[in-house]
Amino acid sequence: MAQMRATFQEELRELEELLDAEAELVLRSLRAAVEALVTRDAELADEVIAFDDDIDDVYLRTHQAIELLLARQTPVAGDLRLVLAILHSNLHLERMGDLCTTIAKLTKLSADLPSDEVLLGAFREMGERGQEMIRIALEALHGRDEELATSLIHLDELIDRSNRRVVSRLLELGPENLEWGLRAIVASRCLERVGDHAVDIGEQAAFLATGEFREFTDASHDPRPLG
Amino acid sequence: MESPQIDSARIAQVSRGLGRAEIERREKVFTVTDLAVSYGGNPALEDVTLDVHRNTVTAFIGPSGCGKSTFIRCFNRMNDLIPGAKVEGTVLYHGADLYGRDVDPVDVRRRIGMVFQKPNPFPKSIYDNVAFGPRVLSLKGSLDERVEKALRDAALWDEVKDRMKDGALGLSGGQQQRLCIARALAVEPDVILMDEPASALDPISTTRIEDLMHELKRDYSIVIVTHNMQQAARVADMTAFFSVVVAEDGSARRGVLVEYDTTAKIFTTPSDKRTEDYVTGRFG
Repeated sequence: MAQMRATFQEELRELEELLDAEAELVLRSLRAAVEALVTRDAELADEVIAFDDDIDDVYLRTHQAIELLLARQTPVAGDLRLVLAILHSNLHLERMGDLCTTIAKLTKLSADLPSDEVLLGAFREMGERGQEMIRIALEALHGRDEELATSLIHLDELIDRSNRRVVSRLLELGPENLEWGLRAIVASRCLERVGDHAVDIGEQAAFLATGEFREFTDASHDPRPLG
Repeated sequence: MESPQIDSARIAQVSRGLGRAEIERREKVFTVTDLAVSYGGNPALEDVTLDVHRNTVTAFIGPSGCGKSTFIRCFNRMNDLIPGAKVEGTVLYHGADLYGRDVDPVDVRRRIGMVFQKPNPFPKSIYDNVAFGPRVLSLKGSLDERVEKALRDAALWDEVKDRMKDGALGLSGGQQQRLCIARALAVEPDVILMDEPASALDPISTTRIEDLMHELKRDYSIVIVTHNMQQAARVADMTAFFSVVVAEDGSARRGVLVEYDTTAKIFTTPSDKRTEDYVTGRFG
């Protein structure tokens, strides 16, 4: 039998490429945001804030491409799941970009305040883990790889642990570092949320691979299939 | 925290369509077992086993030559009219063998009406087209009332009530097709078979026929063959996908049933790769 709907298949490939392009921008933004945070580089933080427009631009283009494709091609079955997975992942990536912007804004506010080397080390580690999780999430999506997607749960636990460590360390440091500490807690929380969004993309990858949507982690229940 | 009152069954139906369990609870209209059809000794369709349930729309989809039209014709013994056609296996209609010796094919076709691809009204008035069946069968009751009800059920009454004596061939293609549906309804059938009922119609007439199917399934069971996959996705509760198997030497092609499930399942997570390839339009 002949391969059919070549244009449609090409459009689906292009959608995946758009998502990759967006992920690349988010990775760059995350690297720069963490670098600015730990080196207290207000100038680099400004660049991160300005860079968010580039991420928003790819987000919007991806959304428009999905809208057009749904209107014209009426995808079903695996194709439909791919489009839905990209629709969700697009939003998660855009949110990660926003979190990087928040970290950059906090960096600017705290650049002149005393900091703590232990915490800066933790931020660097969380930033690296976040980047790794984004790469794995996208790889699982492209490879329709449920096992790889599921591996994000473990990585997310590590990033969560770092976040808790930041809080404990701040409590140890005491009230002298209060102003910087409060901002550090928000920055840490932003990095932790980057991990959560990567897990959410992993859930979309698993949905694409299996046809069954399930939340990997749920605050109120054991993991189980939905619907 | 107190949970708000929600109808979980309703939510499930809205999110996933009519469930398989719900459909299978409905009375079986047809029970097909190991059906095979051949023409002049050449197999056209083999090994079909499925049930058709009451008050549902059941769609047959598949590429040309997959046997879906051959199959739908088994339900009202239309294949009897083709010389050399042979039907094997069993088709039960409400539990009784449709191909039993004592079954009159004419009686079968009264209870199991059929609408074809091209509208085929008789070259008579609108009224006489609908009145034809009840007259031939000498059905009791007021003929006028019967004609009006059939035309109302076919969503054509308002368009033709003031010109019942006009010729049916003066109607538009979409109106002619609804007239054929009214003609089928006038003899109070149980099942309506539709073989590509909208493929010769414009998009608006097609939408009318599809809306009509949603209305008609409250009172009738509908089986439809369609080339238009999105039409099956829109109208059917259950969908059967047929495919073509070609003999190794390329000499013979025969249709087989690949997958039969709820339309939601067929168009979101089909079990068979051949179904996925077909509904996504990847291969044809």
